[in-house]
Amino acid sequence: MLSLVPQLICATLEKVLHKVVAMDPASPALLQKIQGKQLALQLQELPWRFVLSATTESLLLNQHNEKVDCVISTDLATLQQLNDPGQLTRLIKQDKLQIDGDLQVAQQFSSLLQQLDPDWQQHLSGWLGDALAHKVAMAIKQLQLYIQTQLKQLEHAAVELAQDELALSPTQAEMNQFSRDVSQLQARLDQLSRHNAFRQE
Amino acid sequence: MTDQQPDSTHFGFKTVKQTEKVSLVANVFHSVAAKYDLMNDVMSMGIHRLWKRFTIDCSGVRPGHQVLDLAGGTGDITALFSKRVGPTGKVILADINESMLNVGRDKLRDLGLVNNIDYVQANAEALPFADNSFDIISIGFGLRNVTDKDAALRSMYRVLKPGGRLLVLEFSKPEYEWLSKVYDLYSFKLLPAIGGLVANDKESYQYLAESIRMHPDQDTLKQMMETAGFEHVSYHNLTGGIVALHKGYKF
Repeated sequence: MLSLVPQLICATLEKVLHKVVAMDPASPALLQKIQGKQLALQLQELPWRFVLSATTESLLLNQHNEKVDCVISTDLATLQQLNDPGQLTRLIKQDKLQIDGDLQVAQQFSSLLQQLDPDWQQHLSGWLGDALAHKVAMAIKQLQLYIQTQLKQLEHAAVELAQDELALSPTQAEMNQFSRDVSQLQARLDQLSRHNAFRQE
Repeated sequence: MTDQQPDSTHFGFKTVKQTEKVSLVANVFHSVAAKYDLMNDVMSMGIHRLWKRFTIDCSGVRPGHQVLDLAGGTGDITALFSKRVGPTGKVILADINESMLNVGRDKLRDLGLVNNIDYVQANAEALPFADNSFDIISIGFGLRNVTDKDAALRSMYRVLKPGGRLLVLEFSKPEYEWLSKVYDLYSFKLLPAIGGLVANDKESYQYLAESIRMHPDQDTLKQMMETAGFEHVSYHNLTGGIVALHKGYKF
């Protein structure tokens, strides 16, 4: 049963992507540029490699290890940082992100996914009328904001709990102090080994 | 099975003349064509869609490929292939049964898939295509109903390009004893009843359940594919072996 999980993920995501792409008026022009291209995404957290293929109408999703135009290997945390294109070189340098194959394909896919801006309100207004659609959209925006604030607070609380209450992890000051100590130790060690080498000569 | 006459074959659990099987199978599918998709969803609880996606994932399909979807029926696999081969590729939906082909054609047109699909009524035992024509051949839940399976496999081997692959998606033998029992109960008691209720055709679904039991198991089919000339033949059991996907290459 478990063997079909990636297919279920692909089928579901493909449907969602299809809807989102169809709602975005700018997507046909972008898809035209990359149609026929395939980009594979290998996440460290998942045992499967997912492949995005572009057609003139939509993005298709598959799971396989066949040859593709470009492969991105990374982990979930790094993937989130990719929202900021300026980070790309730094992440590659830090070995958090590997790109094999045609770099241009990766860039084109990522710019398509980032530029996707489905006109939800417009489509919603067809169902609910303009006024109600606007209200729903506002409510969703507020909800997003609320969730973001709550998540930040939760993160903050978790850090405080770990550092102050349970004393599981060091505070920033302790950490800095420790780093300084390590650097000093390193310096002394270097000095000693040079001294030692000198005496041996 | 062992006491079979040389010119006879099985139709479910019945033994019939080889010449009769084609028309008997045809009757079954003329009868179920209209409700085929609905019944597939009901019978497999929608899982047949995932089996078909798994087949595509194993196919190595790329834009520009020539694909033959044999016994393509109502075109589920063709639809998946059609999007993936793009405007430069081509998918041929072949089925021996006209009713199924018509249902498939209407459905694919409704989905807006028209540019790269051809429809051919063909018998898998004698495919009307030139040698070395296709990059991929798939046959989904069809081989079971073919009278001479060896001839069909040889015919597929002939029309496949060197380097191409054959994918056989078919009911098979459950891997576990307990699953086998549950499955028997389901397919002999429940399935014909559902068939009677939804498609008003109990006999056809009785045949379906019987024909599944008469189909060669995983290793026998693998052997048959190797005999037909395919290389690197392997299979994946899906849903505990209720369905198996066999994959073979022509080099």
